[in-house]
Amino acid sequence: MESPSASVPITSSEIDADLIRRTLRVMIISRTLESKLSSLYKAGKIVGGVYLGTGQEAFSASLGCCLDQGKDIFAPLIRDQAGRTGFGEPLIEATRTYLGSALGPMRGRDGNIHRGRPAERRPAMISHLGTSVSVVAGMLMARRMKGELLEVVGATCVGDGATSTGAFHEGLNLAAVEKLPIVVLVADNQFAYSTPRERQFACENLVDRARGYGVTGREVDATNLLECLTVVHEAVKAARAGEGPQMVVGKLLRLCGHGEHDDASYVAPELKDSKLGRDCLEIGIQQVVEEGLATADEVELWKKEAAEEVQEAVANAQTDPGPDPYRDDWRAFSSKGINS
Amino acid sequence: MSVTYIDAIHQAQRDLLAERDDVFLYGQDIGGFGGAFKATKGLLEEFPGRVMDSPISEDAMVGMAIGAAISGMRPIVEMQFADFSSIAFNQIANHAGTHYYRTGIPVPITVRLPCGGTPGSGPFHSQMVETLYAHYPGIIVATPATVSDAYHLLKESVEIDDPVVFCEHKFLYRWLKTTEIDPEPLPLGMARITRPGKHATVVTYSAMVHEAVRAADRLAKEGWEIEVVDLRSVKPLDMDTVIASVARTGRLLALGEAFPWGGVTAEVVSRVVAEGFHLLDAPPLRLNSKDTPIPYHPDLWAAHRPTPESILEKLRELLNL
Amino acid sequence: MPQVPIIMPQLGESIAEARIIRLNIAVGDSVVADQEIIEVETNKAMMGVTTLCGGTVTEIRAEEGVEYAVGSLLGILEATEEEISRTGAPTMGEQGEPGLLDEGEEGNLHFRQTEQSYEEPKLVEPSVRGLPVPAGMKGAHYISPRMRARMDELGLREADISAIAGSGAGGRVTVEDLEQFLEYISDWPDSTASPMRLAVADAMRRSWSRPLASVGLPVVLDPVLEHRSRQNPKPGLTLYVLRAFAIALSEQPATAGFLIGEKVVHPRAYDIGIAVQVEDGVVVPVLRNVDQLRVPELAEEYGQLVRQARNRKLTPEQAQGGIATVTNFGTFGLKWGTPIPLPNETLILGLAAGIKQPRWSEEVGAFVPVTETEICLTFDHRVVDGGGAGLLLQRIGALLQSPEKL
Repeated sequence: MESPSASVPITSSEIDADLIRRTLRVMIISRTLESKLSSLYKAGKIVGGVYLGTGQEAFSASLGCCLDQGKDIFAPLIRDQAGRTGFGEPLIEATRTYLGSALGPMRGRDGNIHRGRPAERRPAMISHLGTSVSVVAGMLMARRMKGELLEVVGATCVGDGATSTGAFHEGLNLAAVEKLPIVVLVADNQFAYSTPRERQFACENLVDRARGYGVTGREVDATNLLECLTVVHEAVKAARAGEGPQMVVGKLLRLCGHGEHDDASYVAPELKDSKLGRDCLEIGIQQVVEEGLATADEVELWKKEAAEEVQEAVANAQTDPGPDPYRDDWRAFSSKGINS
Repeated sequence: MSVTYIDAIHQAQRDLLAERDDVFLYGQDIGGFGGAFKATKGLLEEFPGRVMDSPISEDAMVGMAIGAAISGMRPIVEMQFADFSSIAFNQIANHAGTHYYRTGIPVPITVRLPCGGTPGSGPFHSQMVETLYAHYPGIIVATPATVSDAYHLLKESVEIDDPVVFCEHKFLYRWLKTTEIDPEPLPLGMARITRPGKHATVVTYSAMVHEAVRAADRLAKEGWEIEVVDLRSVKPLDMDTVIASVARTGRLLALGEAFPWGGVTAEVVSRVVAEGFHLLDAPPLRLNSKDTPIPYHPDLWAAHRPTPESILEKLRELLNL
Repeated sequence: MPQVPIIMPQLGESIAEARIIRLNIAVGDSVVADQEIIEVETNKAMMGVTTLCGGTVTEIRAEEGVEYAVGSLLGILEATEEEISRTGAPTMGEQGEPGLLDEGEEGNLHFRQTEQSYEEPKLVEPSVRGLPVPAGMKGAHYISPRMRARMDELGLREADISAIAGSGAGGRVTVEDLEQFLEYISDWPDSTASPMRLAVADAMRRSWSRPLASVGLPVVLDPVLEHRSRQNPKPGLTLYVLRAFAIALSEQPATAGFLIGEKVVHPRAYDIGIAVQVEDGVVVPVLRNVDQLRVPELAEEYGQLVRQARNRKLTPEQAQGGIATVTNFGTFGLKWGTPIPLPNETLILGLAAGIKQPRWSEEVGAFVPVTETEICLTFDHRVVDGGGAGLLLQRIGALLQSPEKL
């Protein structure tokens, strides 16, 4: 049984069975982990916010799994657990960061989804939305200047709300002007916290903006795993081939609160019952089994293995020490000789 | 043969581009046009592909620079005016400034800000913004006052691994000249005694150093010896030199061109009072610009900021306390 | 079996409490890990409380409809050791009683999950009424920190710099003024002040901070001199004066009172000091209960004290507790003086030289020779006026005319 975190270089032009299976497995792991994080939060074990990507797993995992872990860049946002796992982020980094371990990538200095390893092409987000676009653009520009851009793709994710920010606008515009191989996934999940899309933008479809930026836009039903994989794969391939920035807008409904402190009671029941409100994981499993890409038993096994993997990541993180305020060096400068 | 302050900045960038492969410049109108102040004149021709015209997107310019810096480059971002850096404030303060602390990966970007007033430049082309960036952890703020410091501090800013906001003063660009750039650089983090004295100390930075010296020269005719300390960088702040100077003179005037609420002058006074209370023979004074936006009309502008006359008056007040 | 607490979690950043909407469990129920067992409502949302591990519910403390603070103990469940180590759930023993801080434990307010909502302080009454120092006095006369530091370094007092004219605002003495003055006196001949000298300087400086006045009264000494000549051993002349002084004071205690604020503190015992000149200074041993013992009874102790004082062998206790002092400068031939009281006393009585004087005698109708002295009283004019001082001196003079009663 292949490990879902293994690096899978994309060489074929079509999406293949291995990619689909892997992506579904990643979605299962992500859902399982997030469910556990939610429980931990509601049991009082997590301080601060918990942000889940329920309903967005297909879209996010597609990107994570289509990217090349060996050389691509991925700057995830708050609902991209599936993308992170697909791109190779170990589960323990998530549990350590949420549970305040001093051994996690942020060492207690930042928490929950504000985590990453910039030196390993996984930048850590800041809370100001849209700011990751220009950072990924810069990472790509550096490679271009060093002559190392060939076949490298940089990717980041935003939500519908983030497309309102100046940072998003400036970043995408700059990436377009510089003709960079960047893939920007826009998860249009209908809400930014409690703000519905009518209060967020006036255009019919967010994908219409692509034209304005001079980038290629694609739209996809993000509840449909196979469609997600096809379209995202295409976008990544196009970027890699030098066709410039690629925007992919996925339409879905956010199936969780903005954070786990929010019960999303403002979401109309009609939306939840609509096509948009379907669970991409259920659909994905259905699709995979129907296409004969995996058996129902295999899927059950994946679920069981996911639960064990998650349990282990949680248990290990729980025994870690927290940061020690008396031993911390409390320095914001890396240069040794600089003091305030 | 004379070298102006802007020549020094130009030269530093040229030398950096020549000595290092990882430096590139990004800013509005800096390519073929050579920059609004000609700080990059001819550099695109000499170093093709490394001097780029950016869109008017200060946020994205700095965000891009952060991404490039964590990927091994040393970008220099030129903001056309310091006043416009407010658009990039978030990326500088919340992204670049926090990055090393949060992730352990330093961000070696240099953001060049043409600061300070010139007659007629008005409220949005005259600001001194060093206080805003010094306030946030993780950001170095350099404020050179001399031609040699403009050269050496810019080079050092690029060579340092931490993000640097480099505040160059527009008034000094062509007004300040020297015969040659001092071959011996003073490192970042050390202040300089521009003028030795014994009756009072003026601690200041950037263009105000020269105004303070002119005021001091006038007072010298009346027998007062005023010591002038040039901070050179406001973060890190060289308190050792400041305290030693106040130990010599017993009186302090903290002088700056920025707005009066808080800022470098308040920081200097508060540290001197905390660390050197026993050295003060009189209450420390501050002199800054007036607490209004910077006016456009040259007469109003001249009255808005400290001048040799107003500095002299303030020093008299200090000496008579 | 170990017990695991069920606590109210922090369900949102500014949430301090939540209301129980529905308890989905009862005592005795079996639960599994991650099971939502209680529905709660915060001011933002409806949320659930989930279990950390599987087990059996043994106690439910929460009630439906009631609000509980974040961190409150809502219930307890029992779980196996295995389940606890599998899930890392905390046990009651480890956590103690969650929901309460140890007494005296402060903790970071921001993370204090175990407190009821914090009541902000109400408007308070000022604890200081009236400013002790006038605020906003520009150019106020002050000594700067640098000046103080320099004075400390040189061992100077404010009195020492009174000789210096200040060039600073308000006429204050600046460090420059001081340095110039020190420079000015640096080539004058000088000697080092002894510790005794410095002690006297300090005492006199402190005493002089009060308004002092002096009055004098001539007193005929012949009766005392005659009485004294018939004693063996001969008591000191000063001792007779001490006795008269103590008796007079005991009749008017307020005269020797010490003023503190609005209170005049009266003497508890009539212990009188004797000023003794020593090399480069003065020491003042104190004779005890002078109002109650007579001259012959006091003579030995008096002599002892004076001897010890001269030899610089007084203990600190012997120099403490006096309520007034007598100083005899008559030994130098002085006719009058304005001595300065000790800083903690209101009065000092000076005894001048006895001089043979012609005095008009009404009975004889001619000038007769008498030995007369002037007794001088310096007093703190805040406590005593000229009249009171005068009456006191008169009484002393009268007592000295009947030395056999002293």
